[in-house]
Amino acid sequence: MEQGVSTLSPAMISPTLIAAWILVGVALFALGTLVYVAIRSRTRRVDLEGAVQTFRSLDIEAFRNLVDAAEEAFLRNNLPPKKFREIKRQRAWAALIYAWEAGKAATVLARIGQAAQRSSDLEVAASGVHVAESAFRLRLQTIGACLRLLTEVLLPHLESRPVPPLVDQYERAAETLFRLGRFSSGAHGFVPSKSA
Amino acid sequence: MNWHKLLLFFLWIAPHVLLGVLAVVLCKRRLYRELPCFFAYVLYEIAQFIVLFTLYVVPNATGKHYTYAYGATLLFSIVLRFGVIDEVSKDLFRESPFLKVSARRLLQFVTGLLIAIGVLLAAYAPGDSSAKWYAGVFVVNRGAAIVQSGLLLSLLLFSSFLGLSWRRPAFGIALGLGVLTSADLAMFALRAAFTSEAALRFLDLLMTATYLVCVSIWIGYLLAPELEPASFTVVPPDEVETWNREFQHFLQQ
Repeated sequence: MEQGVSTLSPAMISPTLIAAWILVGVALFALGTLVYVAIRSRTRRVDLEGAVQTFRSLDIEAFRNLVDAAEEAFLRNNLPPKKFREIKRQRAWAALIYAWEAGKAATVLARIGQAAQRSSDLEVAASGVHVAESAFRLRLQTIGACLRLLTEVLLPHLESRPVPPLVDQYERAAETLFRLGRFSSGAHGFVPSKSA
Repeated sequence: MNWHKLLLFFLWIAPHVLLGVLAVVLCKRRLYRELPCFFAYVLYEIAQFIVLFTLYVVPNATGKHYTYAYGATLLFSIVLRFGVIDEVSKDLFRESPFLKVSARRLLQFVTGLLIAIGVLLAAYAPGDSSAKWYAGVFVVNRGAAIVQSGLLLSLLLFSSFLGLSWRRPAFGIALGLGVLTSADLAMFALRAAFTSEAALRFLDLLMTATYLVCVSIWIGYLLAPELEPASFTVVPPDEVETWNREFQHFLQQ
């Protein structure tokens, strides 16, 4: 027992051992994440119904209004600075939630687009390419938008710029998804099953 | 022969027999055309095993011979693993011209960052600091394991985040290699810290067992059929119209 304690104590605090355990921790984290991603990829299904519901829950006009530079300028000119910062923080937070949800919807859209790309119907496949590409762009843009909106939440006194590309990408993605639905109405139409 | 040696032989030989099966599967399904680097890696691992196993069992070969051969073959194995990672990343972005540019640029940034971390760790992390060349090889392997597991993790997380669909073989290869490099990182770190005979023997067993798991993942994913887009089925046109109206209503609201 005594021998065990005397062997362990200096070893446990040695930088060599600490560094080794840090590396083991990093490796275990990586392993855990890999297993999680693998399990998730097996249970995940492309759910067009869910994507439609997500898209329906997002009000693009409201989002456009929240990030409107003219609106912000009006508020800045007509409100006391403290009140303006409070309002701006609330607006940025609401817009951030919109961007976050749009990003999540884009991920589902991308999966739908890629599934459609594998369709034997050339029109559906071509439309799938458009859906996926728009969705990838939208997803990446939402990351940028989220970061900027988060900055606005934290530092409301900074003057913000408009966020038109995100809105454009969202509209483009939604439009292409609509086109994909229309292509599905042919004789060999592909639409989601209820069980999906 | 004691149980440890028996288990070690089993865990050493079994994955390489399975790698032989994997090579046959790659040939039969003509996947070596799409995954040439992975195919080369599989063949190389089999050849490496034959050389090392021969050196282990031949009485004339010394421990020094084995160490030299192990270190030299390990270096080329590291290089081939980078090739395999490049191959699976190209496969992942194959269908998207947009991602081919933007995602690869992002991956290059991640690679640069990981290389910097790997170099720093190689310089400051624990290990045999002697001038012996094979000690250097182990340090390089640990740094490479950081870069490789980080890259594979980034690929898997990036694809999950963007909603990118993997083809089953590429996903299996990335997953298996990710498990292998992560385990490599942990084992080489522990080897540097625990140098007792018993600890090294246990780590050897653990490493070979991980390799068996990794090869099993590769075989499992390569043999499994590609998932069909099950969410798409043929339905009557009026139902499609209902969906169309739903989309239209959503877009006009």
